[in-house]
Amino acid sequence: MAQSRNESTAALPGQERYVAPIDETPLQAVDSIDESAPAASMWADAWRTLRRNPMFIISAILIIFVVFVALFPGVLTKQNPNYCNLDNSLEPAKAGHPFGFDLQGCDVYTRTIYGTRTSLSVGLLSTIFVVVIGAFIGALAGFFGGWVDAVLSRLTDIFLALPILLGAIVVLQMFKTSTSIWKLVLVITLFGWVSTARIARGAVMEAKNLEFNTASTALGSTPWRNLIRHIIPNSLAPIIVIGTTSLGSYIVLEATLSFLGVGLPTTTVSWGGDISSAQSVLRTNPSVLFYPSAALAITVLAFIMMGDAVKDALDPKSRTA
Amino acid sequence: MIENTNTNAKDEAAQRLEAMQREQGPLLEVQHLKVDFTDDNGHDVHAVRDASFNVYPGQWVAIVGESGSGKSTSAMAVLGLLPGTGHVVGGSIKLEGQEISGLKGKEYDQLRGSKMGLVPQDPMSNLNPVWRIGTQVKEALVANHMDIAHEKRSKLAKALAGDEVNVKSEDDETFIGSEERPALLAAAKQALTGIGMSGKKLDNAMEFFSQEWTAGSETRWRVADDLIKAGVNDDKAWQIAKEHVTGSNMNDRIAGLLDEAGLPDAATRARQYPHEFSGGMRQRALIAIGLACRPDLLIADEPTSALDVTVQKRILDHLQTLTDSLGTAVLFITHDLGLAAERAQHIVVMYKGQVVESGPSLEVLQHPMHPYTKRLVAAAPSLASQRIISAKEHGENADALLEHKVKGEQTLEKSEHIITVEHLTREFKLPRKKEMFKAVDDVSFSVKRGTTLAIVGESGSGKSTVANMVLRLLEPTSGKVFYEGKNIADFGKAELLDFRRHVQPVFQNPYGSLDPMYSIYRSIEEPLRIHHIGDRKSRAKRVRELLDMVELPETVMSRYPNELSGGQRQRIAIARAMALDPDVIICDEAVSALDVLVQDQVLHLLNDLQAERGLSYLFITHDLAVVRQIADEVVVMQHGRLVEHATTDEVFDHPQQQYTRDLLDAIPGGKLKLGLD
Repeated sequence: MAQSRNESTAALPGQERYVAPIDETPLQAVDSIDESAPAASMWADAWRTLRRNPMFIISAILIIFVVFVALFPGVLTKQNPNYCNLDNSLEPAKAGHPFGFDLQGCDVYTRTIYGTRTSLSVGLLSTIFVVVIGAFIGALAGFFGGWVDAVLSRLTDIFLALPILLGAIVVLQMFKTSTSIWKLVLVITLFGWVSTARIARGAVMEAKNLEFNTASTALGSTPWRNLIRHIIPNSLAPIIVIGTTSLGSYIVLEATLSFLGVGLPTTTVSWGGDISSAQSVLRTNPSVLFYPSAALAITVLAFIMMGDAVKDALDPKSRTA
Repeated sequence: MIENTNTNAKDEAAQRLEAMQREQGPLLEVQHLKVDFTDDNGHDVHAVRDASFNVYPGQWVAIVGESGSGKSTSAMAVLGLLPGTGHVVGGSIKLEGQEISGLKGKEYDQLRGSKMGLVPQDPMSNLNPVWRIGTQVKEALVANHMDIAHEKRSKLAKALAGDEVNVKSEDDETFIGSEERPALLAAAKQALTGIGMSGKKLDNAMEFFSQEWTAGSETRWRVADDLIKAGVNDDKAWQIAKEHVTGSNMNDRIAGLLDEAGLPDAATRARQYPHEFSGGMRQRALIAIGLACRPDLLIADEPTSALDVTVQKRILDHLQTLTDSLGTAVLFITHDLGLAAERAQHIVVMYKGQVVESGPSLEVLQHPMHPYTKRLVAAAPSLASQRIISAKEHGENADALLEHKVKGEQTLEKSEHIITVEHLTREFKLPRKKEMFKAVDDVSFSVKRGTTLAIVGESGSGKSTVANMVLRLLEPTSGKVFYEGKNIADFGKAELLDFRRHVQPVFQNPYGSLDPMYSIYRSIEEPLRIHHIGDRKSRAKRVRELLDMVELPETVMSRYPNELSGGQRQRIAIARAMALDPDVIICDEAVSALDVLVQDQVLHLLNDLQAERGLSYLFITHDLAVVRQIADEVVVMQHGRLVEHATTDEVFDHPQQQYTRDLLDAIPGGKLKLGLD
């Protein structure tokens, strides 16, 4: 049928033989390379996206400031946070004491500044341990599969079933006398690794099935080498994202535990402890509560914003807009 | 004599059709179409720069071009379905003389489905997995308010049936209902007996009727027509048709549509979910949806490129019969020149967003005039093409190679077989099933040193499983693989490493086989590192050599896979495979994902490497046309079994098995001689 139609002689109007002038579309070499474009690894691409994200810039400035305050509190205040004079109890702000005084007569400004270090170190240290431990366990489960995966996944499920706050309170009872921030880091890591492990497991399982692993094996690479050289680098992005976003929540958790009185003792300056002691005067002197809370909120917001920006940069598909 | 009258009748039909087309004018008229996309930085990217083409009623028109040539974009612009930031910036699109390029969403909705239908490219992702197939066909009907009118009318017709009242003429488009069908067949049988038909003749006629008269697909006037053709007189035929063809319900119509698209047992199939369908069946369901509302124009975007050749042939044959009987024009997008030549009357060649050549398809492809079309035609593999012959220019060595081919297998010594596979079997456990599934069933063959053995088969034939077992990436259930006469299953750690050094793979997916986190330099260097070869300096030198070998500039070393095209990545993969100077390269569908021109380039590269280095290839592919260009011997596989094994020329010129012949027949445009003259 088609054949016979083809044989009909004159073409229909508008379907005559047409050949474009050659100079209009000059032929290019087959599959040529655009050599002018800059090289772009995934990280370089992510960095380029980040740089142009205002959310990243704002959160980066805030984080740099917070880190600076945590490292050098002495630059911003010359006073001792533990120097409290009951004469000054609940005094309003005055020269040299911009945030006023709390019930014990301590300078709220100085305590807020010095509290930064506690919150930030607990947040950072917990995140590092959570990511390392969680990623390791998750990677093992995802990479080996089978019974290893079954055992580790059930273990993860058990930890996931425990309410983190309840668990933390119980465990912290054992370290009642310790004044070190390490007990908080331990507790947060103990209950926090689960979510990272789950994400890591999924990411590793996905990366494991990509063809370049088979290609590598066929080149003579061992499974361990594949895991370290190919699979882990390719599953880092989601782990980094969850690390950055959970940093904020760990700072909140530290504050919560200190607020509940199971975290750090009152002798250690921390936002959570200050918020806790300020609640008794909330009705008369809300400013005493306001400053440590605001510091906490801004720090957490900065880290969560940073996490979002990093997520957008590393995984453009997750962007909603 | 009979043939003569046949051709005359055909010619006459063609002339009548052409006269009608001339009279009616073009169905679709696209003039100087321009489509832009806006990229992330707000710059306009010109996807279509100047496209003009016409589609006449009842015609098949093909748009061909490489990926990125703007062929799909042009078709989507016609449908008003440009993705993302795409927008028409110039030119005109006229459907039946009416300008449609500036239409609003709602107005376009009315055209789509009823005037223009779409058969999308990927049958896997274009059906909603949570809905039954029938529901999805119904959606197309309901969205276009189709058939509801028919049901209403049929109620009226039911009331009128039997009476002497004249039924309105358009009611002749009423479909057969499944409830009335038995009565209709009985009435037809009675009428035939009435005119004195009996015995075998009656049986034949009745069988024809019961086959043709599908509920929800055949209409009243067709029934009457069939009866009249069988000898029943006009009045009687119309009376039967009017009495018993009184309209179908929605379910009949859905089953009828699916049946038209070539799905057997359509009523049952309509209640199934997409995951219960194979790729070919899904594509048939999509065709049923695309044609549900009887559009005048069907746009098919690479409708069969995801399917096996034999399935492709069956589906396209069926689609052609169907559109011919419905009078639907088809605009189809393809990258396959053979397919375009075989199916379309008119062809439009696009390159970089512009139409570079158009005209009657055979004329354009047999006498291409634009340099780009010439290049495409030259690169297109077809049955008429020959083994790429760079080997022959290689002097003595190549002569020896050719001699191997001539010699019978029995005279060859063992050492001439670099890879030997004996009774290879691999079983897989299927979920929820007791018996094991034999992916590969007792396959034996051997690859002669310095030659190419191709394994051809459709998806599911077990060809890739064989490749993975030869690479020792998968353990065979039984059977042995020998490399240089040694069983690879016995290799210890050191021997295996050595084996890996000599036998290298190139995989199908150029996007997956390179680690996206590795720069090109690191990717190519990786095998050297694994095998602790050379120091930093000598490795860098080697990478440069390898890039030169695959004809890529040194500047790509610092780049990452996502910046390169599929063909370039595949060349990088070849460079990586060549890094260790292997003896054997196993290409698993290595060129299948590439455009014709790029495919041609890669095939030539592979062939040159073979000529220079005496490499042996095990070449896995589904594409017989490519086989002819590269292979010396062919193994045909079907359902895990070896069906045929012979030299390439033997297989192509004297195929012994029916399956091989089917495969050869299914190659689009296989028998057409394309060419430069």
